[in-house]
Amino acid sequence: MASEATLGSGRRSWLPAWLAGDTVQGIRRQRMVLGVLFLLPTLIGLILFVLGPIVVAVGMGFMKWNVFRPPVFIGLKNFARLFQHDLVGNSFGNTFVMMAMTVGMLEVFAIALALSVHRFARSRLAYFFRTVWFLPVLLSGVSVAVTLSYMFHTDFGVVNYYLGVLGIDKVPWLVSSDVVRFSVSLATVWRNLGFTFIIYLGGVSALPQEILEAATVDGARGLKRLWLITLPLLSPTILFATVIDVIRLLQFFDEPYVMTRGGPGDSSRTAVMMVYDTAFANLEFGYASSISVVLFLIILAVTGFQFLLSKRWVFYQ
Amino acid sequence: MSTLSRREMLQASAATVAAAAAGALPGSVALAAAPSQDNITLRLQADPREYQEVIDTYAGVAPNVTVEPVSVTGIDHAEVATKILASLAAGTPVDIGFAATEATQLYAGEGLAMGMKDRLLDQADDLMEYFSDVSPVLVETDFYEGDLYQLPRDFNAANMWLNTKLLGEAGLEMPGEDWTKDDFNEYAMALTGLGPDGDSFGFAWNNGLWGGWLPWIFVNGSNLLTEERVGGGEWLWDTFYADDPNAEGRGGGFRWPEPQANNPLIVEALEHVVALTRDGYAPSVERGFAENLSGFFAADKIGMYPGGGFFTGFLQDAGMEPGTYDAQFWPRWQSQRHQLGVGALWILIGGNEDAAWDFVKWHTGRDVMEMIGFFRVTRTTPARRSMCTAERFPNVSNWNIFYDTVDARPDTGPIPAPVFSIELTNIFTRYTEVAVSLEQSPQDTLDAMQAELEDLYARNA
Repeated sequence: MASEATLGSGRRSWLPAWLAGDTVQGIRRQRMVLGVLFLLPTLIGLILFVLGPIVVAVGMGFMKWNVFRPPVFIGLKNFARLFQHDLVGNSFGNTFVMMAMTVGMLEVFAIALALSVHRFARSRLAYFFRTVWFLPVLLSGVSVAVTLSYMFHTDFGVVNYYLGVLGIDKVPWLVSSDVVRFSVSLATVWRNLGFTFIIYLGGVSALPQEILEAATVDGARGLKRLWLITLPLLSPTILFATVIDVIRLLQFFDEPYVMTRGGPGDSSRTAVMMVYDTAFANLEFGYASSISVVLFLIILAVTGFQFLLSKRWVFYQ
Repeated sequence: MSTLSRREMLQASAATVAAAAAGALPGSVALAAAPSQDNITLRLQADPREYQEVIDTYAGVAPNVTVEPVSVTGIDHAEVATKILASLAAGTPVDIGFAATEATQLYAGEGLAMGMKDRLLDQADDLMEYFSDVSPVLVETDFYEGDLYQLPRDFNAANMWLNTKLLGEAGLEMPGEDWTKDDFNEYAMALTGLGPDGDSFGFAWNNGLWGGWLPWIFVNGSNLLTEERVGGGEWLWDTFYADDPNAEGRGGGFRWPEPQANNPLIVEALEHVVALTRDGYAPSVERGFAENLSGFFAADKIGMYPGGGFFTGFLQDAGMEPGTYDAQFWPRWQSQRHQLGVGALWILIGGNEDAAWDFVKWHTGRDVMEMIGFFRVTRTTPARRSMCTAERFPNVSNWNIFYDTVDARPDTGPIPAPVFSIELTNIFTRYTEVAVSLEQSPQDTLDAMQAELEDLYARNA
């Protein structure tokens, strides 16, 4: 420390007096200032691109603004309207239904896949399966949605063609309000499965082998071992994956927007689509902001609820 | 090689961060070299592949002006307008935009677009030849409240394309100009279940404001919204169209004062298209699939399809053989009034109006329009009559109907597109989906649509 205190003392005359001292305090201050300077780019980015937009969105929720004219403060009117607007309630309902279906399918399929692929952990097949299952994640969501909308077309789609070969009637995948949410969820699962699968594969690889082997010795096999040993050990990973997936899927946009535009009618309209249409089609940026603020709070609450519940079913070693 | 001590590196880093932060301050903008007043960059909403020759040529005409193309794509014109508004909100607007009828009144009504009246009157002599070559039907569509906001570049009316290969298989001739809705129904039935796999549909259509089922509303003698002509506009008609009988009775644009979605004529029109799907003469109408239907027409899976002159290029690209397709007017019902949409450049009020006007005016020249890529392969119908020739629409026997839709049928009118047309389009297409998916009756659907349109009008009153 003493040697640091004497280093380069003659070259710091440009620093302000409170920072230029060679005392221990002065050096601490210098380090602190340098630390802050190094953090500054990140902080500026965080303020400009994360905190700033959040603050602006919340503020805009209390305004009426159509881009062309200056915003006007209207208090809580946007929020009051939001709770009386059937379409908003409907779009939040659709979002939850599709999120639940998609997360359910994602977690089950991803865990099953991870456990299967883990069996080949020491073989080259593991690389092959990991790559194959992860590939759809690298594709553009829009491209996938366009392609799948062709495949799911009632009259010209390849899916119904093959169902027809099997003697099954045409399914109105994208034009029936009973089926469309499932179809869109299925498309989303196909594209996102690889991401969740990789998370679970990491979790499965880290499971303590001694516990699994001891369970096997004690007679736990098959589904019993899966239910009583593997899944509880995997529960921290399940929590992490479901939290990530729920947050992502409450912001459903690409697939329903491209495949159905929210239709038929509003059967597959999601909350984020509602925000987009309200802002850019209806030019009600204030109202759109109020919807996005409510969505933000819902995501926050759901995530908090997931962590709260996790105390009952997540086991940390 | 000299080495940097840890302290020197930290000092250099701190100095760099400080310099960067200082550079970000607004005051530093003043230090940057101010652009010369003579050099102007115009951001033009155009696909560079289509407009490169125009832009390169203009560089010779106005060396001090740089035209920067900004490509904006969308599934329909409403979506393109949505993206233009988003760019405006983001602070990166175009100086010269493109608007189809869907957005003409939106830009004009919101005070974004520049009215052209004074400049047109000041430079009338320069533009006389242009207007003499453009139908007044197209020009009237670009009016808003008595002022003209765009100079038509291209247009498309909803005509009917027929797959003549399937017609031959059904033993049918091309229908005549005065064919009726009943003739159409017979054609739709006869053209269903043909083709190589016996699975063709007689008719198919996209769900949109233009070319969806709105043409059926028009020929049934109605419109989704009540329609009236705005007064004014004599300054243009008297100056440029004094001797044109088709200009008589025209005004200063269209206005649509109120919705009438559940008008019995409109219910009847929707029942007609719903029946086509229900009875298996038309395929399911799905939003994400719109672009592909033209491909199925080319693959002999669809007998009839709504489209304007733009379809010529699509069918050529799809490799459809010459002599296997042709076009006809939309069939008559109560009337044979056609709908159309006009595309043109508009000028943003934002400081570059003079330079933008010079470009837009120059752009109306026939030699300039001939440079535009999509006129060479006919992906749209030119607004200039003289450019609508047999060569421009190869292999289309009835190529003359495209311009005749405005010249010989001057009652052809614009799709209803008030200032809030994007939201209107969304409501129209959403409810249409519900009806054609057979989940709700046309009457119930249109009652609900009417209620939402009334709400839309109330909010925009």
